[in-house]
Amino acid sequence: MSADVELNNVSVTFGSFYAAKSVNVKINGGEFFSFLGPSGCGKTTLLRAISGFQDPSEGSVLIDNKDMSGIGPNKRPTSLIFQNLALFPLMSVSENIAFSLEVRGVSKGDRQKRADELLELIALEGQGEKKVHQLSGGQKQRVAIARALAVEPKVLLLDEPLSALDLKLRQRMRTELREIQKRVNITFIYITHDQGEALTMSDRIAVMNEGEIEQIGPCDEVYNNPLTPFVATFVGENNPLFGKVKETNQNKIKIETPDGDFVSTMNENKKLNIGDEAIAFVRPESLFIPRDGDSFDNLIDVDIESFEFEGNIKNFYATLKSGTKIKFSIPNAIDTSSISAGTKLQLGFESTKSSILPKAQLAID
Amino acid sequence: MKPTYFINFMMGMYIFIFFAYLFGPLIIMSITAFNSAEFPSISPWECFSFRWFNEGKIAYDGQHLAGLLSDWRLHDGIISSLIIGAGVVSLSVPIGMAAAIVLTQVRSQLRDIYYSISIMPVLFPGVIIGISTVVLWDRIAGLGGDGFISDVGRNGIFLTILAQTCFISTYCFLIFVARLQRFDQTQEEAALDLGATQTQVFFKILVPYLMPAIASAAVIAFLFSFENYNTTVFSILSDQTLTTVIASKVRLGISPALSALALTIIALTLIAAVTYEILRRRSEKKYAQSQEIFVKEKAASGRINKEYKAGFKVPKGIVAILLILVFVTYGATQIVKNDLYGQSCIDAADQQKKSKFLEQLQTLESNELTEEELSGGSLGGTEDYDDIFGDPSLFQDFGGFD
Repeated sequence: MSADVELNNVSVTFGSFYAAKSVNVKINGGEFFSFLGPSGCGKTTLLRAISGFQDPSEGSVLIDNKDMSGIGPNKRPTSLIFQNLALFPLMSVSENIAFSLEVRGVSKGDRQKRADELLELIALEGQGEKKVHQLSGGQKQRVAIARALAVEPKVLLLDEPLSALDLKLRQRMRTELREIQKRVNITFIYITHDQGEALTMSDRIAVMNEGEIEQIGPCDEVYNNPLTPFVATFVGENNPLFGKVKETNQNKIKIETPDGDFVSTMNENKKLNIGDEAIAFVRPESLFIPRDGDSFDNLIDVDIESFEFEGNIKNFYATLKSGTKIKFSIPNAIDTSSISAGTKLQLGFESTKSSILPKAQLAID
Repeated sequence: MKPTYFINFMMGMYIFIFFAYLFGPLIIMSITAFNSAEFPSISPWECFSFRWFNEGKIAYDGQHLAGLLSDWRLHDGIISSLIIGAGVVSLSVPIGMAAAIVLTQVRSQLRDIYYSISIMPVLFPGVIIGISTVVLWDRIAGLGGDGFISDVGRNGIFLTILAQTCFISTYCFLIFVARLQRFDQTQEEAALDLGATQTQVFFKILVPYLMPAIASAAVIAFLFSFENYNTTVFSILSDQTLTTVIASKVRLGISPALSALALTIIALTLIAAVTYEILRRRSEKKYAQSQEIFVKEKAASGRINKEYKAGFKVPKGIVAILLILVFVTYGATQIVKNDLYGQSCIDAADQQKKSKFLEQLQTLESNELTEEELSGGSLGGTEDYDDIFGDPSLFQDFGGFD
């Protein structure tokens, strides 16, 4: 059973400081929804407002179309998984999982039965008698999930639960979390600063900056069509090229920069007029070295400075005519032995793979 | 001699001196409990005996020197001390815990003030706490006429419990504060989020976490209460606790029964400490074993170096144990060789003292002045010195009374 979660104009203030400002979002039942943003952007505050630990200063939180104001965290149909997991160290794994049933007065036999069911769900059968300290990091993670699921919440809230794990385990847990969500079919609201996590697991994400939501949408949309320079540079990597709008027509826009003119497809809800200051964004993986017969909408001259090997890809750092730094990456499968520091190259990119946005704050500033 | 040996030797010496300083008086006192002499001493050694643990002795002059078992005043004192201790524990542990929990909830500006006020009672002299309790309750008792309030307000045990709780609860408070500082507040939030009420959070999360602090606060509170004198001596009124009994005994003359009492208390403390240590080590071992199993389960077989073999290890305290054994054996052989033990020795010593006493009486009697001597005799009397007050020149230098 899942429930819709709706934040209506929610603001949370600490003194004169807005931790979250006028947040409006509707999360559908059964959805895997992520709040993505840098640390201090107010995403944890929002989660605490949904779980009931923090009352919104303005606005309201609706779960299942019911206003939650005045309802404490123990009365809401939500479960929260804490960043540090907050497992109870003095209890066994089973006791941890069945805690929510114990406080509701469920009999011992039923508790044990439910704990066993959940242990099976998280693939820890027969380990219920262990103490928490006897589990590995990933197992603790799964126990925390099982504990949160024991009461059959309608909404599961996750506060960066994977941040303490190492890379391999984190990748595996992503898949597992997604699978568990599909199996139990409840609303998951996930908080993270790791765009990789958000993109791989979520149905939709909301990108947050300075207490406000910058963009809400499906992962690929947010990645391919960022609405603000912040989103463009926070989600994935992007090369900014600063300039002024030169030409606009129905679906194309042209920007004039010191390194040449670039064309991009028009972002339908961004109104740009000729002469406005703007930034053209192009991702490192969208820059190509043209081969014979290739034709690109945009071409750009670069001077290779250095490169690094990342495994599946190689990253090249180059300077443009104006001195602007640019990064592009090439799959490791392609031979790049002819490129070294000092090499002059021409790179090309498609207008559909770049976006031109009004000048504003970048995430990498 | 290598420098490290020298350093180790100096270190050993230092530790020896340190422990001798700490425990020397206690050891000497413990030994005096086994000497049958009326005054606690090691030398001269009279007889080895357990009589100060039992009924003590009726001295040759008819005076009864009570032993540990027969001293009813001591027994009454111990019983009231235990009652007061239990009362203080049951009051100060909850008070200290509540105060510490409040400290975690107070806003930051008020925290320092609250903390200072909370620890203030330990800074007051105990005497003042004792007197002020008595003064206050005397007023209160005076209000209610002859009824229940009057009885309670003038009950020494009740007043002592209140007076001691005043400052002992502060020690409990400090213990709880230390433990709560390491408490992970998200545990409370997690429990709340899982549907627990505030009461359930308190009893299922906070109290289990505070259990070690509750135990140590209870022990500390009991010990502080049991050994307290300066507050108790005022607030106990007409009753007696162990400490006030001992203090009054010291005033009248110390007896080896006190040494026997001290030794008993030391032995009980030691037994408790050793039992606690054994239990602690056992649970630690259990924990280590479970961790070991966990590591073995997780680690690849190549990483497990070798099976742990349990073997006999020479305990580190072997030197101290040997030293004690040597002293005890030496002492015992000396006592046996010189026949300084058992009832016969005591009887002989008593007999000797009694005869000495008789001798002294006889000497005194023989030295008693005769009528003749009192009225003059060869020495003393008025013959040699005349009546000094009759001497008219006596007050000349003085100037006389005007």
